[in-house]
Amino acid sequence: MDAMIQLIHVSKWYDRRPALSDVMIEIEKGEFVLLMGPSGSGKSTILRMLIGEEQPDEGQLFVQGKNVTKLKRSEIPYLRRKVGSVFQDFRLLPKKSVFDNVALPLIVQGVSEKDIRRKVTEALRAVGVEHKRDQSPSSLSTGEQQRACIARAIVNGPVVLLADEPTGNLDPELTGEIIELFKLINARGTTVVVATHNHHVMHQVNCRVISLMQGVVLPERAMPERVVV
Amino acid sequence: MRRLFYLVREAWANMRTNRLTTIVAILTTAFTLTCVGIFLLIYVNLQHAAGWLQEDVKIMVYLEDRLSRDGRLQLELMLKSDHMVGSVLYISKEQALTEFRTQFPADSHLLEGLGENPLPASFVVTLAQNSRSPEAIKEWVEQVQTMGGVAKVDYNQQWISLLAELISYIELAALGVGILLSAAAVTIIGNTIRLALFARREEIEILRSIGATGTFIRVPYFLEGAALGACGSALSLGILKVGFELFRQQVEFISRFSEMEGLISFFPLSACLALVLAGTALGFTGSVVSLLRVGEGRV
Repeated sequence: MDAMIQLIHVSKWYDRRPALSDVMIEIEKGEFVLLMGPSGSGKSTILRMLIGEEQPDEGQLFVQGKNVTKLKRSEIPYLRRKVGSVFQDFRLLPKKSVFDNVALPLIVQGVSEKDIRRKVTEALRAVGVEHKRDQSPSSLSTGEQQRACIARAIVNGPVVLLADEPTGNLDPELTGEIIELFKLINARGTTVVVATHNHHVMHQVNCRVISLMQGVVLPERAMPERVVV
Repeated sequence: MRRLFYLVREAWANMRTNRLTTIVAILTTAFTLTCVGIFLLIYVNLQHAAGWLQEDVKIMVYLEDRLSRDGRLQLELMLKSDHMVGSVLYISKEQALTEFRTQFPADSHLLEGLGENPLPASFVVTLAQNSRSPEAIKEWVEQVQTMGGVAKVDYNQQWISLLAELISYIELAALGVGILLSAAAVTIIGNTIRLALFARREEIEILRSIGATGTFIRVPYFLEGAALGACGSALSLGILKVGFELFRQQVEFISRFSEMEGLISFFPLSACLALVLAGTALGFTGSVVSLLRVGEGRV
């Protein structure tokens, strides 16, 4: 199996306080991985580093074989086009319709009008909010907003999908629906990494769990089964 | 195409969202550019007037009374054959007296008491087009003054030199005020863009996270800055035009200056376009200054 994500001896400090200490992680292509840990354990720091938002103080990160720590500033946007991001607070633009929000990554890349219409419709259909395409995000329920956010993250066919506490604002029922959605996306071949402190998520998905505690990766727990879909 | 449409639409949305700051930026830019424009207008008109006066430079070569007819003809021939001379017109003593009486009818009795006509004969010389610089005129006059039969050479040199000096001062003032107020316009527009950036920081964050390049994020703000500058300069031209027309009406009203009315003029169309372009460039510069660090991949 090819490694999609590699963190090699990665360390990061904030004001001399270690956020990550000598982290070694390897995630394979097509894998579904949960990054588990309480707040401040370093989950979000890892995700931010994977999209070039932060730099490690030590160590190296690779995404699809590309050393993220060596990328020039001008190359970062192109990395982000290959890595879809889902956020706890959805981050949808309130003044744009759901369709326009989802179309944004394609507009940024200069995709043709015809392809934008097709791809956005497909993404909205995949997450089940196609009927809400012309509405503003504020008129959507929290679950629908998160679905729209996921549609935006997958619309340009990323190789990796990173989700930072995607179910943080959702009730258990909606959490289950969103996790099912991630499983579907993973089943299509996209590597999915979900950072969460919610232990219920762990029980809803049969996958590898990487546990973090105060910036240190804990030895892998014996999960029911490590799956690569 | 959609990308271009998106960028223009975003710039328009920025301006609509921050309507008040947009209006204030346009008005202050218009005001600062109007101040620059006033200096430019005065400068352009004085230049125009200087050019007109330069065109109209007539050099009076007064002849000695004892100069014979042959001597006068010889002198006229010498002047006409000079490559610096454009035209020569002879005014006899009698013609000079007639002209004096025509121009100053109320004062004509002053000469009657003198018995003999005291006015000298003269040549009215207009120099050739390429010999009308103050230096060339001065040199030519000095040369003619030494000729036999010439009593005196007169021309309005002092007035021309004074005007040239005044123009150079105004030119300097316009440059100084222009630089100062242009910097003010750049700062005002820069601050407006900064406010717009602050209001839309979350949106910029989202754009970054989905892979928008720095250029993609910046372009709407560049367009906004340029649009603010263009609107400000267009408005300043409007203010200048209204002010200019009011001034012209006032000049017309004062009848004794009616001849001056044709002398003053507004900016030609090309200068108007240049001013709008300059305003656009100032606005663009203002947004560039504000956006130097925005849109970079790593914050």
